[in-house]
Amino acid sequence: MSPVQLPESDLSRAHDEAATCLGVDELGPDLHLLTLEAPAASRAALPGEFAQLQVAAGPLLRRPFSFCAVDPGQGTVSFYLRVYGEGTRRLAHLTPGSCLRLLGPLGRGFTLPETPGTSLLVAGGVGAAPFPHLAAQLLARGERVHWLNGAAGSAQLLPLRLMPGGLAGSVQVTFDGCSGRRGLVTDALPELLGAVDRVYACGPNPMLQAVAEMVSRLRPEALVEVSIEAPMGCGFGTCLGCSIPLLAQGVRVPGLCCRQGPVLEAGQVDWEGLRQQPAHLE
Amino acid sequence: MGAEVVIGRGLTLTSPVGAASGTFGYGFEAERMGNLAGLGAIFTKGTTPDPRPGNTPPRIAEVPEGMLNSIGLQNPGVEVVAAEYAPRWRGWAPKVIVNVAGATIEDYVRVCTRLDQVAEVAGVELNISCPNIAHGLDLGVDPHAAAACTRAVRAATNKAVIVKLTPNVTDIAEIGRAVQDGGADAVSAVNTYLGLKWSRVRGTPVLPGSGMAGLSGPAIKPLALAAVARLVAALRIPVIGIGGIASADDAREFLGLGARAIQIGTANFYLPGLAASCAAELRQDGGSA
Repeated sequence: MSPVQLPESDLSRAHDEAATCLGVDELGPDLHLLTLEAPAASRAALPGEFAQLQVAAGPLLRRPFSFCAVDPGQGTVSFYLRVYGEGTRRLAHLTPGSCLRLLGPLGRGFTLPETPGTSLLVAGGVGAAPFPHLAAQLLARGERVHWLNGAAGSAQLLPLRLMPGGLAGSVQVTFDGCSGRRGLVTDALPELLGAVDRVYACGPNPMLQAVAEMVSRLRPEALVEVSIEAPMGCGFGTCLGCSIPLLAQGVRVPGLCCRQGPVLEAGQVDWEGLRQQPAHLE
Repeated sequence: MGAEVVIGRGLTLTSPVGAASGTFGYGFEAERMGNLAGLGAIFTKGTTPDPRPGNTPPRIAEVPEGMLNSIGLQNPGVEVVAAEYAPRWRGWAPKVIVNVAGATIEDYVRVCTRLDQVAEVAGVELNISCPNIAHGLDLGVDPHAAAACTRAVRAATNKAVIVKLTPNVTDIAEIGRAVQDGGADAVSAVNTYLGLKWSRVRGTPVLPGSGMAGLSGPAIKPLALAAVARLVAALRIPVIGIGGIASADDAREFLGLGARAIQIGTANFYLPGLAASCAAELRQDGGSA
């Protein structure tokens, strides 16, 4: 469609796998950790990539979730999900032993550094989903990893125990002040940017825009990657439902969240265009 | 069902199973995912003379047993399809049939004339029924306009011409007869039904504008079967059945009714390997028959 093209996800890595539910842990009001036995996905999934999960006897379309944690040794993958509608409600009520299909890994994930440095991971609410996996991969590469976790209240924070050990620092922020500092992640962000080489963010799209703008102002040399949301049908580029406005070398190009994203460099996102769009399938 | 499927004008398919336009891109995603095996044909995304960016999101919504879409014919335009995509189809087992859309008869002629020169294109499927762009003239609901469009394309190409019919008419057989008289080699039916999803929270339709969008998925299968039955009874050219097929048994229903071939549509989004597995199952039917 345009002479300027952004890289796309590698669909040859995706497999439609018969997964088995191992359990669902309730982590907060409407917040759950779904763990599946899915050996192929556990070996293949990179941080920031996602899977399309089938909702048996439920809505037609699958639901997309970032890989939260993977354990190739055990052949398991976990997803951190918030009950938003019928599909997520059914997934949250899966019983151990039930089967569902998992298509993945899909999408483009976070860029992992070639030489160790310092990363800051910024989460908003259920946007914390991809960070346990990302943090584990970064730590394994010798990276210093700082964790800034924000949510509306303490019950909506991803529990720290789900993050790997060895974090260089951890700051929690809640809007109601019940846990950690009161405010927004952007209130705590400036003081954490000192020596940061990379900022990885996931959360509501307006939060991502605010983080991206703040980092570009205060720490312009840092790489900023964001994992964005869009209403998704197929997850592999054929339904064209998850159209998002992107910028390639400053030129507006239509993109797909599932192929060019969900992780993008902040400068590749047309933030004003994205603000006009819904984040979820209705 | 295992034998060759003759559509007409030299177009034969090795399987009656195809992938429907708008649910399979231009085939490249399925190729990467290993899901082309055994398919008779792929019907590409609707292709227009010039590139179209498509509609502003939201573009899709979910409804019981189905979905609504209002993509707005996002496509790269015929020149990119002919010059950049077609060479990548070389050597593919499924026949590639380019779905063609436009706002005027001249648009259809322009696209089909360009595609006539492209060896990798096995045929064209005229989308005279897309509900998602505003037509000055809605070709698919007027038998005279539908016939005129078919006739004009027929004169512009030697490739097989399939006309994809809208079900949003009083008498689909009348439109079918009109395009048959206009020189169509086959018809495919049905395109999406007009539908709307309402948001009680916002007090507006879920999808933008009027909220009108195309309903597809298993919800429409009985409606599609009825439309296909009418066409099979009324026409002498082949009918390609489309509408809510989500299993090999669904496909067998359309074929049992008299459809020459079928297309799998919305199910490709949530069962990406279905078309290939369906083709394999139907091939076994043929082997045991």
